[in-house]
Amino acid sequence: MEEYLDPVSKGSHVSRLGPLDKVHAFWFSGMSCDGCTVTVTGATTPSIEDLLTGSHPGLPQIVLHHPVVNLESGPNFLRAHERALRGELNAPYVIILEGSITDETAAMETGGYWAGNGDEPWGADGEERAVTADEWIARLAPGAAASIAIGTCATWGGIPSADGNPTGAMSMMDFLGQDYRSAFGLPVVNVPGCAPIGDNFNETVAAILYFLQGFGPLPEFDEIGRPAWLFGETVHRHCVRGAYYEEGSYAQEFGDPECLVEIGCWGPVVNCNITSRGAINHVGGCMNAGGACIGCTMPGFPDKFTPFYKVPPGSAVSTAASRILGSLIRPMRLYTNEHLNREVRWDLHHDVPSGWARGKQEPGRLKEAGHRIYDKLRRSNDTGKADVAPWGKRHEWTYERDPARERTLPGGTDRNTAERGAE
Amino acid sequence: MSMDPVTRIAGALALHVTADLSEGRHLNVHSQAPLFRGYEVILMDRDPRDAIFVASRACGVCGGVHSHAAAYAVEMAWGLQPPPLGTVIRNLGEAAEMGYDNPLHLYLLAGPDYSEAVVKRTNPELWPKAEKWSCPGQNFHGFDTMADLMAALNPLTGELYREGLHFTRVAREQFSLLHGKYPHPQTIVPGGVSTTFTLQTLNEFQSRLSATFDYAQRMVAVWDDISEFFYEADERYKQVGARRANLIDPGYWDDPYAYDATYANCNEWGEQRPSTPGVVIDGELVTTRLTDMNMGLEEFVEHSWYDEWVDGDQRYDTDPLGNPLSPYHPWNKRTLPRPGAKDFRGKYTWACTPRWDRQTVEAGAYARLLMTALAQKHPPSDFYEATGHSLRMRVPKGMQPEAEFEWDVPEVWNAFERNRGRAYHYLFSQLVSLQNVVLAHQLLKRGEDRVAAVNDKELERRIPKDERLGVGWWGAGRGWLTHHCVLDQGKIVNYQICTPSTINASPRDPFDQPGAYEESVLNTPILERIAEPNDYTGIDMVRAVRSFDPCMPCTTHLHTGHGTIVREINTCACDG
Repeated sequence: MEEYLDPVSKGSHVSRLGPLDKVHAFWFSGMSCDGCTVTVTGATTPSIEDLLTGSHPGLPQIVLHHPVVNLESGPNFLRAHERALRGELNAPYVIILEGSITDETAAMETGGYWAGNGDEPWGADGEERAVTADEWIARLAPGAAASIAIGTCATWGGIPSADGNPTGAMSMMDFLGQDYRSAFGLPVVNVPGCAPIGDNFNETVAAILYFLQGFGPLPEFDEIGRPAWLFGETVHRHCVRGAYYEEGSYAQEFGDPECLVEIGCWGPVVNCNITSRGAINHVGGCMNAGGACIGCTMPGFPDKFTPFYKVPPGSAVSTAASRILGSLIRPMRLYTNEHLNREVRWDLHHDVPSGWARGKQEPGRLKEAGHRIYDKLRRSNDTGKADVAPWGKRHEWTYERDPARERTLPGGTDRNTAERGAE
Repeated sequence: MSMDPVTRIAGALALHVTADLSEGRHLNVHSQAPLFRGYEVILMDRDPRDAIFVASRACGVCGGVHSHAAAYAVEMAWGLQPPPLGTVIRNLGEAAEMGYDNPLHLYLLAGPDYSEAVVKRTNPELWPKAEKWSCPGQNFHGFDTMADLMAALNPLTGELYREGLHFTRVAREQFSLLHGKYPHPQTIVPGGVSTTFTLQTLNEFQSRLSATFDYAQRMVAVWDDISEFFYEADERYKQVGARRANLIDPGYWDDPYAYDATYANCNEWGEQRPSTPGVVIDGELVTTRLTDMNMGLEEFVEHSWYDEWVDGDQRYDTDPLGNPLSPYHPWNKRTLPRPGAKDFRGKYTWACTPRWDRQTVEAGAYARLLMTALAQKHPPSDFYEATGHSLRMRVPKGMQPEAEFEWDVPEVWNAFERNRGRAYHYLFSQLVSLQNVVLAHQLLKRGEDRVAAVNDKELERRIPKDERLGVGWWGAGRGWLTHHCVLDQGKIVNYQICTPSTINASPRDPFDQPGAYEESVLNTPILERIAEPNDYTGIDMVRAVRSFDPCMPCTTHLHTGHGTIVREINTCACDG
């Protein structure tokens, strides 16, 4: 694969803006469902094809050792791994784990394994021995420039580590321990989500590489290794339905457009950016489509969130509070909203000439007085009212001075009536 | 010479093959799933409301199908009938999923096997032929010669590869509009969906769908031409991946007015599905009834790392309608993992051995075309029509003029016909999508905008406290998918997932019949050019296995006896 892509992937210092020419990436599947791989193929900022062909100015070519893109004519999978172990790669490498790590000691008791990841010769008479996924991680992690866990299984154990799990599934961080540092001094980098947003992963990789190329800022990670700029906010803060919460309006039926907290959404307490980034190409996103947050990016997923669709009891306090606040805010917003939905001209004429709104009542005197007072208040600091003569402005007719004048202008109602009368 | 053993390193399927290179034959093969993840075990003892989200994680390639199958199983047990718009939204999402899955397989996974990069290396004698061979489908796909087409299939750089990647993204956008994200949708609920479905949603979906019809015409022509070229170049290619015409499919998508989530009426609503359920044995359609399919289903673990569970204590002798059930039926099955050493005479895989009527059957997207074409029972459609020996499809115009395509039931099921069938299935699924877009408009027009049977609070109140059975018959990019569940006192007491890759990747059964991958490899001649053993890439065998669309195929590792690992194949046999 590497040689096959050489004609398109070779670049000069200028086209990659830094010293690195290529970086090898070893991708392991652990106990994965391949969903992380799938979302990464959907990412576009930057896209996988740009990364692999080295056609993203600023970044080195990524030589990916991943089942999906391997071509059999290329150097084979295992050999590259072995070269990395022997330190014979001509470039730095990173390891990426998708899926959780299994506790193979449990499986060994009965002479087997949970997650095999290749055989290798073992013993004097050439007999083979299964190598498990975690063994590969243990071998390659110390020499890796960075160890990146993608998806909630690899970052926090995820569904395979849920209650009742027979395999002892755990995360990469649990497996490598708190003293682990990569060859470049980094602890495990965690990009969670089930499945994660592909762009979150590609962007994290790109950010690390921009830094290594010497022109990018040092990417910030939070205290459990998440990219801080992606996971610093909660789902709720960018949620398209968030404002319903502050007005105390909640979806009661599946499919309703309001805030989903009362159908079991955990968004206010979950770190995730899917509401602002969307799922793919800024399209979708759980709440955008009507899905309640089940906390799939969180270390506590899934057992701290199940049973799903049960309303989080803690939300009762905040929803009650927001209902009280909402009962005040909502009518005030509605009042102003009605006013803003009217042209100034309609206010002056006390009429909305819309075919869609026949029979619509004009606002009463009380409402109008309120708006007038509010307008005064609103324009109290308006420097446009300052007592300075504008230079060169002709003083013509305005609505404000003479609302009735409009009717006598060409096309006006009075004039039309007069003309028709003359005929 | 002996090719033994074949090993794998990553992923969930390995093939262990012995081949005789001088004779050009595969002598023995074992298909192994080396990964266990324990979903069935984790699902036990849980609130049934967890089933959809947990089961979804069984596979991230077929990212929505497990949620749907779980919803079908649970809502049957629960007695919740989705309103029509709920079913239509599910249909739309699942058609979009096929819109992602089929190009993913054809261009990212299988396509490179037919690309310039591979063909030039494994069969250099074909290349001059390809350069001279002018493509009959040039009007539809725009490539003059087969060589041009093969160059376009090159990974990462080829036009067809990149276009395929693009369309997988467009389809995932469609899916995400309805279900939030892909994989692992967020809006499937028991009794419907929780999608906020507006005209904007519908239009954004429909506009993306419109772009797929030109692409579908191109796809069909590309795979027609590839098959014809190889058949013409060497007739023995018809034997690559060939096996008996034993196929099974439970149907896919639903008629929103027929589907009522009951087992009692499943044969009626099953036969109303846009793609008809069916079993074909030796080329003959033997049934289209879902109850027959359910009764005949058994799973064995003779060669799998699980403990036997049949001990005279059978939970169900019959299904809810009184039809007899085997002790090996999923409703009676128990998942008792026990890791062990690999032993080809004994246990060698984490996959089980599903059989229908004790026969090795095959699952695949193309099985939908086959059942629908043979049965001629599908509801009337503006866009397709079964003839008993073919499926006629009318493609609306885009930039390409309107066209009619006809998929004929192939004489032999081999690697090329599977891929060709998958290309036609892409077209078929997008036509089903269009049909459902029209249905969605009609429903909104009539003000039928409810998307779920009950609301969240009612869902909690209605959790059944007695013992209930449920089954979700559904499909994936690679065909048949079922979830069987047993609920008792409001919790899941048994959950069994039977995936298409388990069916296809299954090991030998107790009657010593090989699984579908195994059978197809045994029938595959070795046609690649081999000067010395180390040249062997296994391309013919790999084309055979890839044509089943194992979830994430990659490479197959073969030991040539000198420790040279050549390729590895990986699949998601996401059972357990």
